[in-house]
Amino acid sequence: MNVFEIISNTNIDYKEKRHLLALAAENTLSYVNLSVKTEKHLKKGILCDIFEGHAPYRPRYILPDYEKYIKNGSEYLGIKPPKDMYEVVNALMVIYQYVPSITGYPVYVGQLDYILENFLDTVSEGEARNLIKMLLINIEKTLPDAFVHMNIGPKETRAGRIILEIERELKKAVPNISLKYSKEETPLDFAKFAAEVALEIGKPYFVNHEEIKNLLGENYGIASCYNTLKIGGGSYTLVRLNLKKASQEAKDYRDFIDNVLPNVVDSLCEVINARAKFIVEEAKFFETSFLAKEGLIDINNFTSMAGIFGLYECIETLKGLKLGHDEEALKYGEEILDKIKEVIDSNEGYGCFGTDGKIGFHAQSGIDSDIDVTAGVRIKIGNEPSIYNQIKTEGRLHKYFNTGVSDIYVFDKTARQNVDGVMKIIDAAMKSGIKVFALNTSDSELIRITGYLVKRSDIEKYNRGEVLREDTVKLGAESIKNNKTLDRRVREVE
Amino acid sequence: MKGYINKIIENSFIDGPGNRMAIFLQGCNMGCLYCHNPETQRMCINCGRCLEVCSQGALSIKEGKINYNKQKCIGCDRCLEVCSEFSSPKYFEMQSDELVKIILDNEIFLDGITFSGGECTLQTDFIVDVVEKVKQKSNLTAFIDTNGLINENDLNRLISCVDGFMMDVKAIDDNTHRFLTGVSNETVLKNLKLLAKTDLLYEVRYVLVEGYNDSVEQVKYLAELIKNLNDYTRLVLIPFRPLGVKTYFKNLPLYNRQKYDIIYDEIYKVLKDRAIKKD
Repeated sequence: MNVFEIISNTNIDYKEKRHLLALAAENTLSYVNLSVKTEKHLKKGILCDIFEGHAPYRPRYILPDYEKYIKNGSEYLGIKPPKDMYEVVNALMVIYQYVPSITGYPVYVGQLDYILENFLDTVSEGEARNLIKMLLINIEKTLPDAFVHMNIGPKETRAGRIILEIERELKKAVPNISLKYSKEETPLDFAKFAAEVALEIGKPYFVNHEEIKNLLGENYGIASCYNTLKIGGGSYTLVRLNLKKASQEAKDYRDFIDNVLPNVVDSLCEVINARAKFIVEEAKFFETSFLAKEGLIDINNFTSMAGIFGLYECIETLKGLKLGHDEEALKYGEEILDKIKEVIDSNEGYGCFGTDGKIGFHAQSGIDSDIDVTAGVRIKIGNEPSIYNQIKTEGRLHKYFNTGVSDIYVFDKTARQNVDGVMKIIDAAMKSGIKVFALNTSDSELIRITGYLVKRSDIEKYNRGEVLREDTVKLGAESIKNNKTLDRRVREVE
Repeated sequence: MKGYINKIIENSFIDGPGNRMAIFLQGCNMGCLYCHNPETQRMCINCGRCLEVCSQGALSIKEGKINYNKQKCIGCDRCLEVCSEFSSPKYFEMQSDELVKIILDNEIFLDGITFSGGECTLQTDFIVDVVEKVKQKSNLTAFIDTNGLINENDLNRLISCVDGFMMDVKAIDDNTHRFLTGVSNETVLKNLKLLAKTDLLYEVRYVLVEGYNDSVEQVKYLAELIKNLNDYTRLVLIPFRPLGVKTYFKNLPLYNRQKYDIIYDEIYKVLKDRAIKKD
């Protein structure tokens, strides 16, 4: 869209227009410096920066250390350390307005159960509940973007339970929620309650706490879709590689592994590093952000993310095999991921201090305009094998990714009557190496698109041309059209 | 040892506690008017009627025996509709070792397995063989979903090797039972009482069919009976659905929800949390 088209568009509201106009202004600058070869890959769509803009001036994902903020307050914001439940809720609502991201909304709103738990006893039980409800409504109204992500767990807290209870009552797409789940630390009863809520409203995610902890340490958060990053850090950028398109460049499988992949993954790293460097050195983000000055973020916790998607089609194109249905296909999948990881790790990741100097590896979940290409390392929608085979296949693929990978498992409504059975599958998935497990039911009003939720009724409104508050509804509605999201295999029970 | 299997559902939340693999065996000793999977009732007589309606060439006949090609099947189920024998060309023979392997390959996902049908206990030898082998190598539990019409010998063998039973009671009144199923409920009630005295009767299921077995008095009688027999068995009240029904009962409407709720409330008074509601 050009500037006039943005201004005169009747399908988007003022805020979204302002956001698009800012992007249009940014894009009047030339793209960060790249080699000719890499520019070609971007033009061809083999690489894609997911509309981050030509001249990035803030990291894509930021996970402020909210616990530190609550402990110390903020000089910049003029917020003193909160003393009671009123002050902590207010302090949180204030800082969210100041956290930059690509969407303009914070992609991480914190480990809210642990933060709020410390203040719960400063007010009566009823007041605490009302204040948490007010906070959740405020987040939904002022940050209307389904990538806004809240974390709870692994330990049970009263605040965590209240959050789930209220979310179940509100039934809104925002915020996205993750439960850090650990069989050792999360009481079964709390996990079962969370699963019950997820079967009703599509959230929380179940995040494999033990696995992620081993990769990033205890101090990590889940932001945006399902990106696992260090708290007090984040990711400068996410650039993704379309494996389907890349596979079409190869003469055969060997050529793909030996020549095409090293070439395009090098380019992927080049774009990522150029963008990260621009943020740090040209936009001087860390020199200007109060988050950095007050120690709520630290460059030492940052990284960048190299995303891939379309592994399913890549294997299909090169070998004619179907991932999830052929053991051989899985072996090729592993070989491809091994190779990508090897090339990524052979490059220095600019400013990637949070992941040992290497760029983080991410299974990207697709965007609304992707057509006929499957998200991340998932199995093509509609072609999923039995749930056990799906989990066993994907479990072996999830091991490669340190900054986010997930899949969505859709059950029919009988699952609601048997949460023990659902927990058995979640536990088995965790054991099989699944890092982030999203569950949904086929009749749910909230639909998980790729990594975020959208209300069914909002999609109908969007399709009728109504202007909507939530920016992610448009993405969801287009994704449903282009990616057959609603055709995901339902685990039906007769 | 081989068994005759109609289908295997790898992930079932409705066939006993937790997540279970449900194995539906072919063949039944009742002929319920409201049976919702009537294709499991009888064995195939190879009459060939289903061949005529298969548009995909998934069915063929060789040496007088029907062959089914799963790859070609599109699941339209026309073959089941035209089968006047209450059978299916799709059921298959499977060796117990093969079934055991499928189960054990998915052990980490499962709480257990459930044999259903048809009337699975008609293949007690097969069940016992599979269950013994599974239990040798895993902690999975085995449940039996039965209509209760089991001979004494088979029942005793099953009691000694499985972990639970889910038993249908189709009607309390014998005449109604004979009308609905074609057989007397004498053995069923005898087995109900016998199983209730073990710790294995996980649940009793009762399908409400309007105008046949749904008098409050009958259902309450069953609830009282269960209450007096032990302190743990659940009673699941299921509303009749015409889905899949093949007899003239297919024209009956979905069971009236209001009436369902009234009857449920009555049995709730007797059994409290042991009375289970179904959508």
